[in-house]
Amino acid sequence: MSSYFPTIGLETHAELSTNSKVFCTCSAEFGGTPNSRCCPVCSGLPGTLPVLNRKAVEYIIKAGYVMNCDISRFTKWDRKNYFYPDLPKAYQISQMPRPVCLSGNVKINVGGKEKDIRINRIHLEEDAGKLVHDEVNRISLADYNRCGVPLIEIVTEPDFHSAEEVVAYLEKIMLLLQYAGICDCKMEQGSIRCDVNISIAPKGSNELGTRTELKNLNSLKAIAKAIEVEIERQEELLDNGEKVIQQTRRFNEALGETTAMRSKEDAHDYRYFPDPDIPPIIFTEEELEEIRNSIPELPEQRVARYVEQYGIKKPDADLIVSDKKICDFFDVAIQEYDNPKAVANYITGELLRRKNLGEVDMDDLKFTGKEFAQLVELLQTDKVSQSNAKAILGEMIENGGTPKSIADAKDLWIKEDSDLLAKTVDEIIANNPKAAEQYRNGDQKVFGFFMGQANKALKGQASPKAIQEYIKKKLSE
Amino acid sequence: MDITRAKIRDLRKALDSKEISAAELCGEYFKKIEACDGKVQSYITVTKDKAMEMAANAQKRIDAGESAPLTGIPLAIKDNICTDGIKTTCASKMLENFIPPYNATVIEKLNAEGYVLLGKTSMDEFAMGGSTQTSAFAKTKNPYDLERVPGGSSGGSAAAVSASFAPAALGSDTGGSIRQPASFCGVTGIKPTYGRVSRYGLVAFASSLDQIGPIASDARDCAIMLNAICAHDPHDATSSRQPVPDFTEKLGQSVSGMKIAMPKEFYSDDIDDDVKASVMAAAKTLESQGAKLVECSIPGLKYAIPAYYLIACAEAASNLSRFDGIKYGFRGEGRTFEELIRDSRSNGFGEEVKRRILLGNYALSSGYYDAYYKKALALKQEIIKEYNDVFDIADVILTPTAPTPAYKIGAQDNDPVKMYLADICTVTVNIASLPGISTTCGYTADGLPIGMSVIGRRFDEQTILQCADAFEQTFAPSAPKL
Amino acid sequence: MAVELKTIQHLCELSKLNYDEAGLEKVMGEMGDIIDLMDTIKSFDLTYDDTKDNNSISLNEVREDVAQPSFPTEKLLANAENTDNCYVVPKVVE
Repeated sequence: MSSYFPTIGLETHAELSTNSKVFCTCSAEFGGTPNSRCCPVCSGLPGTLPVLNRKAVEYIIKAGYVMNCDISRFTKWDRKNYFYPDLPKAYQISQMPRPVCLSGNVKINVGGKEKDIRINRIHLEEDAGKLVHDEVNRISLADYNRCGVPLIEIVTEPDFHSAEEVVAYLEKIMLLLQYAGICDCKMEQGSIRCDVNISIAPKGSNELGTRTELKNLNSLKAIAKAIEVEIERQEELLDNGEKVIQQTRRFNEALGETTAMRSKEDAHDYRYFPDPDIPPIIFTEEELEEIRNSIPELPEQRVARYVEQYGIKKPDADLIVSDKKICDFFDVAIQEYDNPKAVANYITGELLRRKNLGEVDMDDLKFTGKEFAQLVELLQTDKVSQSNAKAILGEMIENGGTPKSIADAKDLWIKEDSDLLAKTVDEIIANNPKAAEQYRNGDQKVFGFFMGQANKALKGQASPKAIQEYIKKKLSE
Repeated sequence: MDITRAKIRDLRKALDSKEISAAELCGEYFKKIEACDGKVQSYITVTKDKAMEMAANAQKRIDAGESAPLTGIPLAIKDNICTDGIKTTCASKMLENFIPPYNATVIEKLNAEGYVLLGKTSMDEFAMGGSTQTSAFAKTKNPYDLERVPGGSSGGSAAAVSASFAPAALGSDTGGSIRQPASFCGVTGIKPTYGRVSRYGLVAFASSLDQIGPIASDARDCAIMLNAICAHDPHDATSSRQPVPDFTEKLGQSVSGMKIAMPKEFYSDDIDDDVKASVMAAAKTLESQGAKLVECSIPGLKYAIPAYYLIACAEAASNLSRFDGIKYGFRGEGRTFEELIRDSRSNGFGEEVKRRILLGNYALSSGYYDAYYKKALALKQEIIKEYNDVFDIADVILTPTAPTPAYKIGAQDNDPVKMYLADICTVTVNIASLPGISTTCGYTADGLPIGMSVIGRRFDEQTILQCADAFEQTFAPSAPKL
Repeated sequence: MAVELKTIQHLCELSKLNYDEAGLEKVMGEMGDIIDLMDTIKSFDLTYDDTKDNNSISLNEVREDVAQPSFPTEKLLANAENTDNCYVVPKVVE
């Protein structure tokens, strides 16, 4: 049992999914050959000027609303001055005293316990470029494609006390940002990045220990691991009577350890001052109201609606809501077929299963929620069998098409041939007298055996309901 | 008549009536430049081939009867305004070989009218100075006395117009850099209201103070130039959406009833006697035309110099941080990033630029920000308020443009502070974002021009042009004898 | 009044400027005089209120989010030492 108590605060950067960069009209798209998405402005040429992107401002306001922040009515941008090869102007345009968002909170749930994480601020700034290091020649190659991509920086209060809480928070805000439609939150592409500030103190102490900053954390797994090893490292230092040095540390995932990057002691003097090239903005209540109203229903509200109005079980609702594309898909589907429970079951049972296997890419669906709903309806009304429905879904995933047209083309309808049904079931019962005897003696479980046999033999020539009824009738005779 | 001494509006007539072709016209200027600019050193780059190309295009428009006011008009452009494909040095070793891949917006606007580029003029390095003697390439002399400074930082542009090496030029003004050289060189120069002219493509010195403006032989030509370059620009978020009038509209209207304020702080003992006398005499002339002279005070003037230098240098320190030799510009030596950028900057920048960067970082640095930079911003608010109060009781403000006429080259070397103090008459106009025009109001006993400035309300260039023009109509300037 | 050596050294670090010994002496003296001049504002008593600058705009004046074609890479790199479409920078020593 540790005698120390960790305290953690997070700074998360999320790239906004705007069309153009935050201060110029270059595309903000990810990738591209080096320096192919650049212009004199984002390359820092002499004489150039930044011109703010309205959508970026709307997006950060949305971020503020989904995290329950106060939106500043007067906001402005400042220059953060420092020299680094990925920063062409040698200053980053960011926000200091008057950020767009202040004082918010995000609810997380860890192991059934709810907790509020306080948000200190969210501000809008520009991203820097990328450096590729050539160790042999001791040079770096600078690519400014990413310079000027809009970033929001979300800073929490030091409210976390475990890696689990941190991960729960990150999963929650990634969901919120996706639902707000402002960031695709692809950690592997770097569209969302997290720095962790962490300190430990003896249990019961009122003071915080010296904190270190962890950087270069590329996945939730890495974040959890980095926190774990850093806590261990700090505990060992303190146990040995040594001090924790305030510094930035890089996490090396392969080695499972953190190493010092630079001492925060000689931290930069950023000399923040208001950027004279960018006029401050004053928001009106109407503008903010309009932006707020344009935010789609958030995850929590959707879960509540599914559980309370549709009677869907909470774990299933959570599952559907955890992917916005799936959730939106579900909402469209139930417009077509008003049986939310059945649609939900088929999504969680079939669609999500295939998504997790990599068979379906929600970004590249060949069919609509409407068509999916039609399939569920056909299944529910016994027009197709379970196995044929799966086949139809498979076809829709591969090539698109409506369930009806596919069932027609491949002859997948349940035939409802009652003579064939009677003949087949009679034969099965005749061939299995012992089992029939067991059933008549009260063994309900044997029924499943007959169902299975009948389904196999009939292969979609009769609906499960009809089969069930007939077998029951026959066995009771 | 020496056509190189003609006004823009007369050149327009001459070109349109086919008295002279666009090619012949710019040829006349090049002849003069070749003959005499060796002495004056107003140009850093002379663009003869480009000019001929532009003249040919202009001629097509003139022949088709489609001239705009500046079609075929040769102009000189200060070398801190980016010209696509043409070296733009800011008179600094740091940008000695820099060729911008884009045009400043003002250049695009001039191109749209079909102007002809004579060349890029010399200036104080990165526009930091009042003498043009910090230029790394051409230390411009005053055409009225080659042993004296032409003023700065737009000294090259002012001297070129003064010596008839161009009928007009573009300069830039952060703390007086159009007005003061105009006054030293006996020509007219106007700094428009902050936001009137796009700064996109102007290599930034102090972003909240810089403005591009014309230098010409009189207010009327300045108005023609302003008409071509003023507009809102989506590339410059600080450019104003205020509607742009025809700046020639009020020229020639009587100044009867115009209230002209003369703030007492601008007429102190720090101003040379002959300068004061000259400006006062001009005031009397305007009074005789029906204007009313009004007394007033701008007490904030006593903080003007520190307020200006703290704001300007802080912004400049940040604006000049991008010069490291990696993306463009002078590239020094170094095995590490740190070594390289320090070497590039230490060798690429001149001494005055370095001093201002140091001062700027001092004003912004942790522990000093509140006492210096933030205090300067408070002063700015106060100065704006004081000017607003004056404009409650007056239409324009009349002041000397500089405390002295042109001084001898070398007289202010080794004394940066003395140089800074000489800006006292001009800096508050930039701080308050007001328009100001300087025109010649007299000459010293040695024949050196003396300039007076007319300052107006924000966006009221029309009235200060009207006022300056009203005086100019009564005043016969005398040209330098080169 | 000359500025302290460690102040100038700190400013040189912020400004990324080198001076040799003679240059340092000279600039310490010059900066001293310049800062003395700047110090005259200390007697001015008011504070700055950033909401009173009257230079703010409304959201609908801000640029619409439309991407435009970028600049050709060669044009941007033309003034720089470059390889593989990238700017070449000596390594940053951590």
